[in-house]
Amino acid sequence: MSAGGSGEAHAAIPENQLIAFGIIGGLVGIYAAFFLSNVAGGVFSFMGALGAICATIWGADAVRRVASYGLGTGVPSIGMLALGMGVVAAMFGLAVGEGIGLDIAGPVIALVVASIIGLVIGIFSNKVLKMNIPVMEQTMTEIAASGTILIIGLSVAMTGTFVFDVVLDNVITTGYIAVIFIAGGMALLHPFNANLGPDEKQDRTLYSALEKGAIAMVIAGIVALSAQNASAGMVTILVGIFIWYFGFMGFYSRVKRDAYKVVGTGLLPSEEELE
Amino acid sequence: MDPLIGMGALALMGAAATIAGASEDLESDIGSQSNPNSQVQLAPQMSYPHRIYNKAISGEPPSNALMCAIGGTVAYVMLNFNLSAVLALTIGSLVAAMVHGTYATTAYMGRCSSQKRFKQMVYLDVLRSHTPPIMGYSFITTFTILVVSYIMVTVFAHPFPLPLLAFIWGITVGAIGSSTGDVHYGAEREFQDEEFGSGLNTANSGKIVRKAESGLRSSMDNSWFCAKFGGPVTGIAFGMTVFLSSWITVVFDPAKSVAAGWESVIVGTLIILVLVVYNRKMEVSARKAFGPYKEDKEEAA
Repeated sequence: MSAGGSGEAHAAIPENQLIAFGIIGGLVGIYAAFFLSNVAGGVFSFMGALGAICATIWGADAVRRVASYGLGTGVPSIGMLALGMGVVAAMFGLAVGEGIGLDIAGPVIALVVASIIGLVIGIFSNKVLKMNIPVMEQTMTEIAASGTILIIGLSVAMTGTFVFDVVLDNVITTGYIAVIFIAGGMALLHPFNANLGPDEKQDRTLYSALEKGAIAMVIAGIVALSAQNASAGMVTILVGIFIWYFGFMGFYSRVKRDAYKVVGTGLLPSEEELE
Repeated sequence: MDPLIGMGALALMGAAATIAGASEDLESDIGSQSNPNSQVQLAPQMSYPHRIYNKAISGEPPSNALMCAIGGTVAYVMLNFNLSAVLALTIGSLVAAMVHGTYATTAYMGRCSSQKRFKQMVYLDVLRSHTPPIMGYSFITTFTILVVSYIMVTVFAHPFPLPLLAFIWGITVGAIGSSTGDVHYGAEREFQDEEFGSGLNTANSGKIVRKAESGLRSSMDNSWFCAKFGGPVTGIAFGMTVFLSSWITVVFDPAKSVAAGWESVIVGTLIILVLVVYNRKMEVSARKAFGPYKEDKEEAA
């Protein structure tokens, strides 16, 4: 068996719940941050990052489902692919939203476009490249959609809005899109990559997705310090650090539960022990 | 721009890039990231549990891009607050190193606990002793990459913003570290009890060296070994990449005239040709000196 497993992943939390959690949580976070942007000096922009974290957990689960078919070294590529599709769809959706004079529709348009791109790439991988992974079409769609929510959510956390002109000036031109791309992509791909192995467990993987999403949130908060103002940035950073701590402790307690042994120090297991 | 200042800035960029390449490779060797990781991951499955740091963050290019992009972003925010450049780059690298430390920790813990059935333990002392040096090396890498990017933005007036440049150089240093330095650790150190040049026999898959000169081998021993050759050679490779790719446009500045732009293209092509010929010569002479593995030759005959 390859290190990445070779079949359907076993899940305690069913995928439909995680899909709903990602889409609804993501959009609620983004829109809440958008509508509350004028309240209390924009401190509610951290809601966008919360939406991004919901999408991260969903996306990491989708990566887990497709990568369980023995992708191995392909796991990082999937994460990069997700954010690649996400950037295109997010910018297209927000630009079209502004173009038709309905900024508020931007994230939804982006989500739909991302799903179409993801589906096409999924069909392409299975039918043309003949990868023959049964869940490919569905997971590619999910990965692209979660990547898009992740990008828009972090952009909202940085700037307080998803109006295309503002995002263009404050996120793309300043180069912060690079950190959104890589921190978001790593938050999607790292959880499964870090927990890869025959005894991988879904909740442990998802807790590390929460933790990595929180790191992206803290970075978005640091950017918000200069893109918005000190109070908006500090709130995002502090909430992010709190979620990171919660995520890391949850992950660590599951490591202690799942590992053969967690020891302070020690020699290798003896021959008898290995029998 | 005064050509002399340009050459000085270029020399500084080359020096910073050389340090970045060396520290990047040693950082990845402590955690056995990238190519050598597959054997570290396989070892417990072949009933060779070990005390090597299994740092499967991702491939080297994405993980280095992450720390450099975070460093560049934080430094850029600090520069917007009119902080001095040295302080801004240092704070950026510090945040990047901390984030890198959390990624390394979750990778080690996660991978080891996913190998429960092979009785691979999570050794907390490995985590405590290895993660700080990993963070230290990642700080050096990020800081030097930020120096390169900062010089490009301020001295050479590169149109890209600092975070984006740092991101691109992060991918580059990761790619070069992965292709240049890993060979030294993966093929030579993990299987140093096999005859030199024998290649990796399938029967030896996962049978990595787990015992050191004294006691059990740790990933710090591997970093010490790679610091002798693999790290410096990665540094030279990356330093040359940064220096030569910028040198052609500094000497033959396309901003001055179109002819100079074409001259830079020609010089760049010449450099590549010289390197290709030189590499070929070196490979042929190495094959002559060390020859094919003798046993293979007998089998073929």
